[in-house]
Amino acid sequence: MKARLNLALVAGLVLLLIGLVAFKSSYFDQIAITTMIFVILSASLNLITGSAGLLSLGHAAFFGVGAYTAALLSTRFGWPFWLTLPAAGAMAALVGAVVAVPTMRLTSIYFAVATLGIGEMIYVTMLNWVGLTRGPMGVRSIPGITLFGAEGMVFSMVVTAAVMLAALWVVHRLMHSYYGNSLRALREDDACADAMGIDVGRLKLQSFGVACCLAGFAGALFAHTTGFISPESFRFGESILVLSMVVVGGLGSLYGSVIGAVILTVLPELLRDLGSWRMITVGGVLFFSILFLPRGLVGEVSAIDLIRRQIRHAPGASRAAW
Amino acid sequence: MEAPLLALREVTRRFGGLTAVDSVSAEIGRGELVGLIGPNGAGKTTLFNLISGVTPPSAGEVAFQGRVISGLRPFEVARLGVGRTFQNLRVFPNMTVFDNVSVGAIRGTGLGDALFSHGGQKARAISEVTTEMLAKVGLAGLVDELAANLSYGKRKLLEIARALAGRPKLLILDEPAAGLNDTETVELAHFIESLRAEGLTILVVEHDMGLVMRVCSRVIVLAFGRKIADADPASVQRDPAVLDAYLGAGDE
Amino acid sequence: MDPTVLLQQVVNGLSIGLVYALMAIGFTLIFGVLNVVNFAHGEVYTIGAFAGLLLITAAKPPLWVVLVLVLLSGGLVGWALERIAFRPFRRFRDEASLKSKAMREATLLSSLAVSIIVREALELKFSGEMQTIPQAYLLQNPIQLGPITITDGNLIIFGLSAVSLGALQFVLYRTHIGLAIRAVSNNVLGAQFVGINTTRAIVATFVVGSMLGAIAGIMVGLYQGAIFPQMGFEPGVKAFVAMVMGGLSSIPGAVACALILGVSESVATQFFSDGWKALVSYSFLLVTLWFFPSGIFGSKKEKM
Repeated sequence: MKARLNLALVAGLVLLLIGLVAFKSSYFDQIAITTMIFVILSASLNLITGSAGLLSLGHAAFFGVGAYTAALLSTRFGWPFWLTLPAAGAMAALVGAVVAVPTMRLTSIYFAVATLGIGEMIYVTMLNWVGLTRGPMGVRSIPGITLFGAEGMVFSMVVTAAVMLAALWVVHRLMHSYYGNSLRALREDDACADAMGIDVGRLKLQSFGVACCLAGFAGALFAHTTGFISPESFRFGESILVLSMVVVGGLGSLYGSVIGAVILTVLPELLRDLGSWRMITVGGVLFFSILFLPRGLVGEVSAIDLIRRQIRHAPGASRAAW
Repeated sequence: MEAPLLALREVTRRFGGLTAVDSVSAEIGRGELVGLIGPNGAGKTTLFNLISGVTPPSAGEVAFQGRVISGLRPFEVARLGVGRTFQNLRVFPNMTVFDNVSVGAIRGTGLGDALFSHGGQKARAISEVTTEMLAKVGLAGLVDELAANLSYGKRKLLEIARALAGRPKLLILDEPAAGLNDTETVELAHFIESLRAEGLTILVVEHDMGLVMRVCSRVIVLAFGRKIADADPASVQRDPAVLDAYLGAGDE
Repeated sequence: MDPTVLLQQVVNGLSIGLVYALMAIGFTLIFGVLNVVNFAHGEVYTIGAFAGLLLITAAKPPLWVVLVLVLLSGGLVGWALERIAFRPFRRFRDEASLKSKAMREATLLSSLAVSIIVREALELKFSGEMQTIPQAYLLQNPIQLGPITITDGNLIIFGLSAVSLGALQFVLYRTHIGLAIRAVSNNVLGAQFVGINTTRAIVATFVVGSMLGAIAGIMVGLYQGAIFPQMGFEPGVKAFVAMVMGGLSSIPGAVACALILGVSESVATQFFSDGWKALVSYSFLLVTLWFFPSGIFGSKKEKM
């Protein structure tokens, strides 16, 4: 029941966003699109970090792989959106799988730093492989989203919303199923999940692949709706931004990651005049979330609670503590 | 003569210069209730890990239902029909009781199942076995409770239900009596016996003599990595080598 | 390739490697004591450099005064960092919780958040551009040593590093607090049982580690002539890489690996353009994580 309520709320949120069209202002339209793109990123990161417990610090890199794939395929080969979208997802998933295989058996913080390293390597490649990506100059004049002859800002919003809803549906189904249970078992105690018959390696690979594919879709949307991309949008800072959305909204809660995405996209826009305060806000929000709102706004798992429970499980811990 | 359910053939495990398990051979037949005891450091945990696939043997092999399983990964061993509990109670704290037990039954239910056959046959089968096992251990009333909120005793039952959800052929219990008082130990003994009566083969790895002597038809004793006895409880209790290994420690 | 060019690069690499080493030591000390990754360590380095710059522009004191004051400011920052980003999560005093996965993740995120705030605040104040160090203080006077050229900056780095390492050895092995730090690194509960004030030892570790980081920062600033708010990020990551390669709890290992990283980077610039230089460290990181679970020089104590 709770799952259905959340889904309804999310759908309502989307309608609200599309309703911003009523303002007939391209500024709001762009914010709406950006927010929806970040909802996809946040939900997909939540799948691996909130549900499967794999702390990834390089999610923006996969976003970037998708964006560059779409941008280059459309500007160099003239591929239309309906082809670049799946291509972006596939490419990002492929890179994600390549990343996941060697890092699978690393424990939490080492996995996190490995993803950081990989994210930076991808960024450095984007910046320096000028022959492919045009380096810091970025790729410009990326065509907008055109399907069956329809195009334009409103149409882009609708398409973005459609992709977002599809992504949310996928993540929702995975999280609220027995598959989701096996992911959460992975998060709680992966060695134990292994002993219970769960193929831990394959699960990590799959969830990572799905999350990266979705990030790739977000990248394609980003490329086509903004018309210009450069490596700067896909750095470590962006990965942390997405991570903050997940943390603020609550690890393990899809509804939460949507809320987190909305808050952390809209808030900096409202503070736009103080433009460079954006990342400070993010840092501050992240810090206070971890400390005071450890479950996030709607989360399943909180850092402090996990610590408390670890004590109860420690061998020799006093029974009186329970 | 039917092949034993579990066969250990000269299983050895060395860690650098230390031999934790030294050429241990033993067999467990279908339907038996066997105890594995030994003083601390005897190698019980290592032997357990060798059986469940956590660590591979340095020499020798482990066979389950006639098939060599040493060297398989833990989840593969589990899927072949070996269920286990943990001495230090590793339930999934932030998941509900129901979800915890279901993990034992999920096995390879995959991505495709989640996306396309929501509520389909596999999901129904998992729900059924989960409900059945929860009823069997008496936790049916607590299905939506977070595992972290359960008392120690109920967590033990949860672990057993989770292990049973996989419909194992061999259930290995890791120090199930740890932390229980005498009354609770008796209840546990009855429960284990009832499981055995249903045809389950059970191996109890224990430190506590009381439980083992009470329920097991046969006891294997380890000391310093070697098997020093393998007989019925009464004989083992009288065995001078066993008494020696425990240094005169009788009832715990 | 011309051997003198190679030698020159090696010398330059050793210089930068020593800077990484000072950072890596601080990282390793903190990791050893708390088993946590201090994501804000790179910012201590940046603050050291900026503190030095402020001192120089404000008061133009002699160099040694600048260094001492930077050292002190580093210690102060370390103390503050521990209080803000790490202590609030240490509400429980037993080993199991102190070393748990959740603790490590929570403090990784909190120190990460703090590092972002510090970096961005510096950027707000100073804008993203390079701040140049006044000419008089720059350590770029060349000295000819046979076929290679070093600067007095190199000499100062070598000298200061040697002094710092010596001082560290002294503190760790000949003072009470050093003993406390080593005890807590080895066994937290055990240390508590013998009456060691673990909180003080932890704070001391942060202070010492951050002092080393701050000194590294100002030295690089003086050597390279320009500093910028983002400067701490990469050395921070490289310090982590050196620590991981060196086996997580080994200071000599971390130092050795930091030097290897520095030299590798320097030599790599002969073959690749500058932009690709960062790949060297990240590649080392990934190779180590994948092939050497206990670090290249590591003991089997801690697996990744």
